[in-house]
Amino acid sequence: MILNVNGSRHEVKAEARMLLDILREDLNLVGTKEGCGVGMCGACTVLVDGKPFSSCHLLAEQVTGKEITTIEGLSRDGNLHPVQQAFLDKGAFQCAYCTPGFVLTTIALLNENPSPSDNEIREYLSGNLCRCGSYQNILQAVKAASEMI
Amino acid sequence: MIGKSVPMLDALARVTGEVDYMVNLRLPNMLVGKIVRSQSPHAKLLKVDTTNALQVSGVVAILTGADLGANAFYGAAIKDQGVVAVDRVRYVGEPVAAIAAENEDVAEEAAMLLDIEYEELPSVFDAQEAIQSGAPTLHEKYPNNIFIHSKLRHGDMDAAFAEADEIFEDTFTSPLAQQSSLEPHVTAAQWDGDQLTVWAGTQAPYMVRRVLSENFGISQEKIRVVVPSLGGSYGGKGHIRIEPLVAAMSRKTNGRPVKFLLSRAEEFVTVTKHAASITLKTGVKRDGTFTARQVTVYWNGGAYADASPLLVPQGMVRAVGPYRIPAVHVDSYGVYTNLPPAGAYRGAMSSQATWAYESQMDIIARKMGFDPLEFRLKNLFVSGDHFATGETLHDVHFVDCLEASAKAMNPSTSLRAKVGRGYGVMMKSTVSTSKSQARMSLADDGKVTLFTSTVEMGQGAHTAMAQIAAESLRIPFEMVRVVGPDTNVTPFDSTTSASRTTNMMGNAVIAAGTSLKRKLIELAAPLLEIPSEELLAENGKVFAKETSISYAEILKRNNLNSLEETGEYSTASKMDPETGQGKATPHWHQGAGAAEVEVDTETGHVTILRYTSAAFAGRVVNPHLAQLQNDGNVIFGLGPTLMEEMILDGGQVTNPNLADYAIPSIRDIPLELISVCIESDEQELHGIGEMTLPPVAPAIANAIEDAIGVRIKDLPITAEKILHALQEKSKP
Repeated sequence: MILNVNGSRHEVKAEARMLLDILREDLNLVGTKEGCGVGMCGACTVLVDGKPFSSCHLLAEQVTGKEITTIEGLSRDGNLHPVQQAFLDKGAFQCAYCTPGFVLTTIALLNENPSPSDNEIREYLSGNLCRCGSYQNILQAVKAASEMI
Repeated sequence: MIGKSVPMLDALARVTGEVDYMVNLRLPNMLVGKIVRSQSPHAKLLKVDTTNALQVSGVVAILTGADLGANAFYGAAIKDQGVVAVDRVRYVGEPVAAIAAENEDVAEEAAMLLDIEYEELPSVFDAQEAIQSGAPTLHEKYPNNIFIHSKLRHGDMDAAFAEADEIFEDTFTSPLAQQSSLEPHVTAAQWDGDQLTVWAGTQAPYMVRRVLSENFGISQEKIRVVVPSLGGSYGGKGHIRIEPLVAAMSRKTNGRPVKFLLSRAEEFVTVTKHAASITLKTGVKRDGTFTARQVTVYWNGGAYADASPLLVPQGMVRAVGPYRIPAVHVDSYGVYTNLPPAGAYRGAMSSQATWAYESQMDIIARKMGFDPLEFRLKNLFVSGDHFATGETLHDVHFVDCLEASAKAMNPSTSLRAKVGRGYGVMMKSTVSTSKSQARMSLADDGKVTLFTSTVEMGQGAHTAMAQIAAESLRIPFEMVRVVGPDTNVTPFDSTTSASRTTNMMGNAVIAAGTSLKRKLIELAAPLLEIPSEELLAENGKVFAKETSISYAEILKRNNLNSLEETGEYSTASKMDPETGQGKATPHWHQGAGAAEVEVDTETGHVTILRYTSAAFAGRVVNPHLAQLQNDGNVIFGLGPTLMEEMILDGGQVTNPNLADYAIPSIRDIPLELISVCIESDEQELHGIGEMTLPPVAPAIANAIEDAIGVRIKDLPITAEKILHALQEKSKP
């Protein structure tokens, strides 16, 4: 089975496995984290054709032929993606276990809606949990990113 | 350097997903560990037969109670917990066996083939039921299930209550909750002969080392504990938890390392927040002063004492509150029940206690016609007052904290219907006796390495310590790197918990930096031919008026590759065990909060319109990180306030997942959230990891009563409870 991840084609074993496990174990893309295992916390968020999905909840077969983006696929020529830069500028993290998921969900949000309101941001990001409670800075980072993009 | 908002040292790795958490750990030949858990809340363990499970191809070893020998039991204070169960299980989820296998599928298959037989025993889940005569006994050494009873005796209660014009008696409860760090407990271990290495997601590497040394009967030097950055902890990874099991399992795998990564469901049976019932009887005079307070607290410790013998005495002094009360008695009981063991949950014991005493403050104020804010301000401790332990309080800023919180609320403005305001203040002890050491090493390129066993778990402690190191040695921040914890390399620290690090490790770093600076000045004096008393240090140089020499040059000219110094800071506080008189803590943590909420009386939904928190920080090391901690406290605190509760059925957790056990999302945060740090002339460094958390629940409950006239006394404050209370209130 072939998976397109971060612009590269990868041949992976086609057992009934979750995308998250293939990313972490086979492809060593360990920026994607498991938090809850049931698609509720968003730590394992990846983009599938630009839309955010919980990779703990996706069978690899469901995403063959689609373009998968993980946190490792965001930097270009050594530069951070503007959303990463905004999270860095606003210090929008503490333990940062959830940060890759937040960054990817934010990219999807800003693709759909380049200038979201506070309410729209809260709504869109409500599937990503930050137990450290860095939400205020995350909100600021999303707004800063929307101005940068 | 202190006082600057520098980004976290590894901020870049935090936005690129490159932090090396325990979950990422891979070692050569590493095996997967799996825990097989009890399905009974209380039973004799008749048989654990591994014959069939061991036949599964890919199973390397299985650990059962039969392997453990003399040192089968461990605990942070009372050695009551089997590394795996030996002859009895006491809660659903207790480890009965562990499997080391080539992969997870194999381990799962073997787990199904373990043949375990139980003989059920009667069980008890509620702490107050567990202390009744006739209740099942969990541990024979404690027949009434009370494993600790902490007492505070201050003043003549009968006389003091007789002086009161009104006496209030109320009971407030907090349910079982779970820390829910997004990174679960992860630990790996490997033996090389009699040398043990443990990679542990822990807040207390040196405690882990000591307990393992006792369990395996080997000297501490033979054990190395390494701790990477944690993906959150909040107390849940404090003290000692799965490390003995992991070390015992890996002893059976011929030197192959074994890694255990707990599932989310396992997290809920590994450590919890103490369920608590707190009864406050408080005597008040018509002039708004107190005469007496009697506090009775039952902490549900679960099946094993775990950290509770260390926390219940803290829970005693934390239950009194920050007000001048002449006579105070407290009885704080740690009780065994057939539930998962309880440990520290951010704001440990203080959250349950503050929920009680700050809720009762408003009940009193409402009944006696006092303004809740004025009533607090009138009675709050100030510097020089005496606490119920008899100790004199210094650097006291409760009033500043409350006023700063209240000011942002504009208390003079009137509110629309169904909107209310509420306040909360908390007073919390830290670890009474503890020690921190830090080593600073200056290399001949001028760079400095700070060796510290402080655990970085998202709070930014390594960054704050680097700032303190830079300031104390007078070098640019960029010249400092931080290493640790690794018990083979980094010196002793009691624990990263109880908001003690900025104060304790901070002072150890200052001591190390100051003596290193002094050494450099002494070495520079002959080189500059100026007496050391006339030399100063700044910006990586020792200088006098016209001349200077860099630290790097001082080392080179003295033929030194490096120069290092260790600093130490320790505290010891002691209370009389019978009366609680003495000193409870080296200093008191102080925080406050003010909430403005709107309640939808149709749905019971509470919207937090505004929340302001204030923490006493002494001197802020990093304002940006302090704001994240203070905001984080408030947001974390919204969980137990409004939603978090472990639901149990016959001792079984029925919501052990983040779908049915809700924690706050970005949709739940206050529409406006402000955090303030209070500094003082003394400029002492204080931790702020928890200060603004405990006031959240009572501030919101008080605001709800202000808004709609109902009082909730049992956390969490769900919509159902609000609607039910409204119904009760509308009954004639």
